[in-house]
Amino acid sequence: MITLLLKTPASIQWFSRHIIRNRKTVHQLILFVIAPFLLSFSWSANAQLNIVTTTGMIADLTQNIGGDKVKVTALMSSGVDPHLYKATQGDLRKLLRADLIFYNGLHLEGKMQDVFEKMARKKPVYAISAELPPERLRHFDTHPDPHIWFDVQLWKQAGQYILKMLSQHQPDARKSFEHNAQRYFQQLDDLDQWVRQQMATIPQNQRILITAHDAFGYFGQAYSVKVMGLQGISTAAEFGLQDMKQLKDVIVNNGVKAVFVESSVSPRFIESLMKGVRAEGHELKIGGELYSDAMGLPGTPEGHYLGMVRHNVNTLVHALSGEAQ
Amino acid sequence: MISDLWILATASLVAVACSMVGSFLILRRQSLLGDAISHSVLLGIVLAFLATDSRSLPVMLSGAVLIGLTTAWLSDQLHKTGQLQSDASIGIVFTLFFAVGVILISLYAGDIDLDQECVLYGEIAFVPFDTVIWGDLKTGIDLGPRAFWMILIVFAAVLASVVVFYQRLQTVTFHPTLAVSLGINVVFWHYFMMTLVSMTTVASFDAVGAILVVALLVIPASTAYLLAKSLKQMLWMAAGFAELAVLIGYALAFWLDSSISASIAVSAGIVLLAVVVQQQFYQRRLRTQTAIQSPLSAN
Repeated sequence: MITLLLKTPASIQWFSRHIIRNRKTVHQLILFVIAPFLLSFSWSANAQLNIVTTTGMIADLTQNIGGDKVKVTALMSSGVDPHLYKATQGDLRKLLRADLIFYNGLHLEGKMQDVFEKMARKKPVYAISAELPPERLRHFDTHPDPHIWFDVQLWKQAGQYILKMLSQHQPDARKSFEHNAQRYFQQLDDLDQWVRQQMATIPQNQRILITAHDAFGYFGQAYSVKVMGLQGISTAAEFGLQDMKQLKDVIVNNGVKAVFVESSVSPRFIESLMKGVRAEGHELKIGGELYSDAMGLPGTPEGHYLGMVRHNVNTLVHALSGEAQ
Repeated sequence: MISDLWILATASLVAVACSMVGSFLILRRQSLLGDAISHSVLLGIVLAFLATDSRSLPVMLSGAVLIGLTTAWLSDQLHKTGQLQSDASIGIVFTLFFAVGVILISLYAGDIDLDQECVLYGEIAFVPFDTVIWGDLKTGIDLGPRAFWMILIVFAAVLASVVVFYQRLQTVTFHPTLAVSLGINVVFWHYFMMTLVSMTTVASFDAVGAILVVALLVIPASTAYLLAKSLKQMLWMAAGFAELAVLIGYALAFWLDSSISASIAVSAGIVLLAVVVQQQFYQRRLRTQTAIQSPLSAN
């Protein structure tokens, strides 16, 4: 017996003992491989338009316009940085089953944008920034700035594009879409007014917004705030020592009271900036957390677009105007 | 359903091609060459871009393959003429190439999105969306994913080379001195091998991304190395383990809703671990059995 054991290679024995003889293992393996295929069939066709979006902000906008005629799913959950998002197997399934796909465009989604452009050959896939007036778009060297949602008026225009595409795909629900859109656009107009009023309460020379990365360019442009960031437009790029020193000078010279951390970017950059400024004897505090590339958790007030903008503006006003706290 | 099949097919071809090439790399103690190439391709991409002013895939791929070959050549030269350890010389060359690539980008291509993540590395989940269409865009016939066809060509090339030149590759890998005395052109076969490595890794990067390729080059071949008694056995087993990792990994990705390439890489590791544990167990039992039986057989 022993000599026989020694003669046959261990590997063959292992295969025969554990893989071939054990039918149960084989069956389980087959189950695991075939189950995904069967499951991908098991979706029921319903009247609701199945829409997939990349960011939560686009999902929120689409849901508000589509109402109960659409079912919206966002690929990126709250707190996910869209620049660094990695696709999962489930995302593939969601994209395959979608009737309609909306993404931000302007390279917010990075390499995924190429995929969307290729998908557009077969499926209705739209960049919501497609019909924005080019003169309203900001540029960072040659790259466009994708963070359009912080200019409420610009976001409303993106909403009009979504309304157009939804109506095109489901003409019978057009009335309902338009009704929803009118109501929601009114809310956006009110929000825009409110933001202007709130920002006006901050003294002109104190309207400086300093965060970790340049997500608030459109916000600054629309509501006349000077925006400065440590990192460039993409959160993947590192900042240089020179950037840090320039920012420190601006803070000390203008007597800036607060800087801000962002929900989807690590706070360590801002913390190191704080240390640097405090070393020069200037009092600086963290004004609070701003939502930049992703919204808050679902169910909280910041879990939808209107609440997210309100939270950001409240945080800014509190910290910069020096009233409360 | 059909998308799952395309992904599994592409991943399987990548897995089998990488595991075959990886088996030779392991035997030659160059298993980190794939990792090295994944970094040094940056220089190839930048140089190809600067030379042609184009970011199209064929240009990027040829730049990447050439620089992969240069990485292999230069590290080999450092090892032989510079008397450095082979792992150290690989480490020197790829970090150097990567760093030169970074400097060239900041000098000449600062405001263009040019890095391997962006122009070369693919995401396996999106393989089914990027298809080749024969004829007109709207009415043409959909031939299936571009990545699949490309990796199929590379796979066929690797398989054909290994089958046709099996004897040569075996002699050169195991008995280089004997090969020289037999009059085999060792240098030619060395670079033949390196070309296969460079081609396979770059094409696989484009199809499935970098981590998975590095994992599939090293792990299934190492698993096979633990068990196999001959080169032929090792190649078969490496391919089998690689395929097993793909199947388990895809099921894992489905179950956990996680990244497909990361799940496959993890599964390859789990398979390796299982084999190591099984082998330990088997050896221990063999030892105790021998201990019990030997007094009897002495009689």
